[in-house]
Amino acid sequence: MELRLAADYLDGVLRDLGAEKYSYTLSQSEKQELNLESGSFKLMRTVFNNSASVKLFAGARMGSASGNDVTEDGLKKLAQEARLAAESASEDPCHDIAPDQGKAEFVQGVTEPDMDAFIMRIREFLDTAAREFPKVKIMMGIGSYDRWSWISRNTNGTEFSARAGQYHFSIEICASDGKKTTGIDYTGFATKTLDTPFMEMGDLRRHMEDVQNSIYPETLDGKFEGTVIMTPGCAAEFIYMTLSNYIGDSVVINGTSLWLDKVGQQVADEKLTVSLKPYDDRIVMGERATGSGFKSEDVTLIDKGVLKTHWLSLYAANKTGRPVVKNTSFDLVVEPGEKTLEELIASVDKGLILGGFSGGQPGTNGEFSGVAKNSFLIENGKVKCAVAETMVNGNLGEAFRHIRGISKELLIDGSTVTPYIAVDGIVISGK
Amino acid sequence: MLKDIIGAKTGLFADGVQTVLRGHENRTRRAVLLKGNLVQNSRSEAAGISARVNSKGTFGFASIAEYTPEAAEKVIRAATENARFLSRHSGRNIALPASAGTGTLPLNGDITDAAQKDIIELCQTIDGYVAAKYPDLTSRTVVYSEDSQDRIVYTSDAFNGHLVTPRCYVYVMMSAETKDGVPVEMFKAFGGYGSFYDNFSEPEKLYPGIDQLYRRLADKKEGVYAEAGYKTVVLGGMMGGMLAHEAVGHTVEADLVRGGSVAGPSLNKRVASDLVTMVDFAHTYNGKPAPLPVFLDDEGTKATDAVLIKDGILVGYMNDRESAAEFGMAAAGNARGWTFADEPIIRMRNTCILPGKSTVDELIASVDDGYYLIDSGNGQADLTGEFMFGVTCGYEIKNGKLGRALLDTTVSGVAFEMLKTVDMVSGEVEWTSSGFCGKKQPMAVGMGGPHMRCKIMIGGR
Repeated sequence: MELRLAADYLDGVLRDLGAEKYSYTLSQSEKQELNLESGSFKLMRTVFNNSASVKLFAGARMGSASGNDVTEDGLKKLAQEARLAAESASEDPCHDIAPDQGKAEFVQGVTEPDMDAFIMRIREFLDTAAREFPKVKIMMGIGSYDRWSWISRNTNGTEFSARAGQYHFSIEICASDGKKTTGIDYTGFATKTLDTPFMEMGDLRRHMEDVQNSIYPETLDGKFEGTVIMTPGCAAEFIYMTLSNYIGDSVVINGTSLWLDKVGQQVADEKLTVSLKPYDDRIVMGERATGSGFKSEDVTLIDKGVLKTHWLSLYAANKTGRPVVKNTSFDLVVEPGEKTLEELIASVDKGLILGGFSGGQPGTNGEFSGVAKNSFLIENGKVKCAVAETMVNGNLGEAFRHIRGISKELLIDGSTVTPYIAVDGIVISGK
Repeated sequence: MLKDIIGAKTGLFADGVQTVLRGHENRTRRAVLLKGNLVQNSRSEAAGISARVNSKGTFGFASIAEYTPEAAEKVIRAATENARFLSRHSGRNIALPASAGTGTLPLNGDITDAAQKDIIELCQTIDGYVAAKYPDLTSRTVVYSEDSQDRIVYTSDAFNGHLVTPRCYVYVMMSAETKDGVPVEMFKAFGGYGSFYDNFSEPEKLYPGIDQLYRRLADKKEGVYAEAGYKTVVLGGMMGGMLAHEAVGHTVEADLVRGGSVAGPSLNKRVASDLVTMVDFAHTYNGKPAPLPVFLDDEGTKATDAVLIKDGILVGYMNDRESAAEFGMAAAGNARGWTFADEPIIRMRNTCILPGKSTVDELIASVDDGYYLIDSGNGQADLTGEFMFGVTCGYEIKNGKLGRALLDTTVSGVAFEMLKTVDMVSGEVEWTSSGFCGKKQPMAVGMGGPHMRCKIMIGGR
């Protein structure tokens, strides 16, 4: 069933059930995916999918249901499931839907793919990789084109609809000289154009170089406190952990956030500005509507080290009496710094370039502890060697309060825009 | 439960290729109480049909989010066409794996649905118990999460079957503060294979576990950082399970062996002390159901146990049909997909290090200066066997006795080096199956292990 017709039908079903307040999103998607294994095409995957999700209120009680059956029978069942869930819930007036956002239609990315050109770019990447990085093995690669359309309505009058599509390419790589093999490294990017060879997209070339230079890593003796230069991908991961730990829904509702009363105060070094910018041209598929039904907005969470707001959904905002943030994406944009990566490295007496962090989500106290992956030792301002069996320990909040520098260079991978970030005071330990 | 509407479509399977047709439904039920507030209250069902075609080592896969005979016809045609299209680009020409037999497995059980009202009441009962008994907590969260699967598999040259995998859990999370106002947390999962009414008809049976969780959190409030370095430790059974899964299991998945994992050159060599034997169990352990029984995989391979390490020697990998033929091993039923839209890839099932003969008390008493590491929140591993686990619950061991609790830390090592240091193994196994393994797709897995004494790198400040 065409989505708008399905939406009209669902409105009728929900009204027949007596629902006076609800929101829903219906979507259809198509995926064309090419899977590489050991450097050659192995599997072609086509996925046609639907999704339907309904949030329904019975007075101050909220329930939700979702599924992928958008036939008339499927939508009837979905509405009934949502009503039963709502009627089973306890009253909580903090659950709500966004006020009327008007009507809007969004078109994003590339909605008609050129699969021949896409395959050509993948083949070109494989050829370049084999020629320039003979020791690197493309263990797995996934090239996909994804296309979506969706419609979202609520009983306050909002109606959003969208058509969107993007290419995505990711690789899992290792390197071997026939005697020794490195660990796995991962990278990827999203794009709406095929203008540029894939080796030059995102951070692919650097990852290929780094893994080729990691076949014989060294282990470190003892431990020391040093500087860690987080690669852009690693920096994005640490920023996400920090935002979740200090300004996300759960920790603010719980009251366990260490930044609970820090809005308007300096929480990080003044060199750090962190925004979520779904409308930035460098973000391919930026969020257009939040889970609560607001039209998404660009938002700066940390401005020159000052916390501007917590990162709260409508429910958490209602629950805590704090402002809602009309952005539930991680369309991360971190402002660049004034030093080149080379200058950052030259400024470090002893530390690491941290290519990846193998560790869990830190607790609310922000303490992190994990293995440095795809990482290199820096001594006296120079990159010395790849490292193995090396751990990094520190505290998220402390780390971003002690930023040595931020690079001019930015990784733009279609989903995030992130520089290298050098932080001091990290405990680095070897065997 | 799915009705079999796809079996009649096997006549559309093309000649000269291997085809698998799968009807598959995932069902989730979820309720989350955060400090008594119902912040999530949701139900979901997603069903569809997929087909996968192997044409000389090039695979075509197609899926549609409809469970209809027409969808079955479409996916068979599309998957066949995808395989043909890609074979023009792939250059692969790999003989199809031989059939290991054909037949039909009987339906293994049922999935009983629970009313959302009952689910919410269970969460409220547990939350009420925690709130009343432990008012000093700074926060508490109770999560009910069910993710059950129902699949019907038809194949061109393997086994057919209709299998269900119901599983549901209650997670209880507690937060408190140290005397310095630093938050500390701990969680515990209850439940496992089975439906809501199988696992949670008597909520009071969870209370002893909840009380133990609180006691450990109270210890952690007074906890200290571990001293970083290479230490002698006693790994608890949950940590043993994490070790089996993360540190060893992934390296012996045949697709990662093919990618260059350390297990490739280690086959038939010593990788652990002779106290270590490790098996990926299909559906039965010690005469009882394994935590997440798998009877048939999504290639139609009848599931059997895969012995990976025997008395310290690496003796096998986990395979799909293609890799089993490549490595000269028998496929044991490890190829699984998470949803109807996911192609089967090599996954673990119930991966476990087998028990030894010592007691836990003997292990602890044998350590002069080290740590007892009980529980882990997460873990990751690499091709090289380098692994890390987050440790959420642990204690010092001083002169053979437990000391102060530990704040969160991480342990790491290289699996095949670390396993050689195992010199005592306890006589019982602890299982867990509450987590997901991530490898392109999520997958429910079981893991288990005994207590083990060994040497390991531990992080600290």
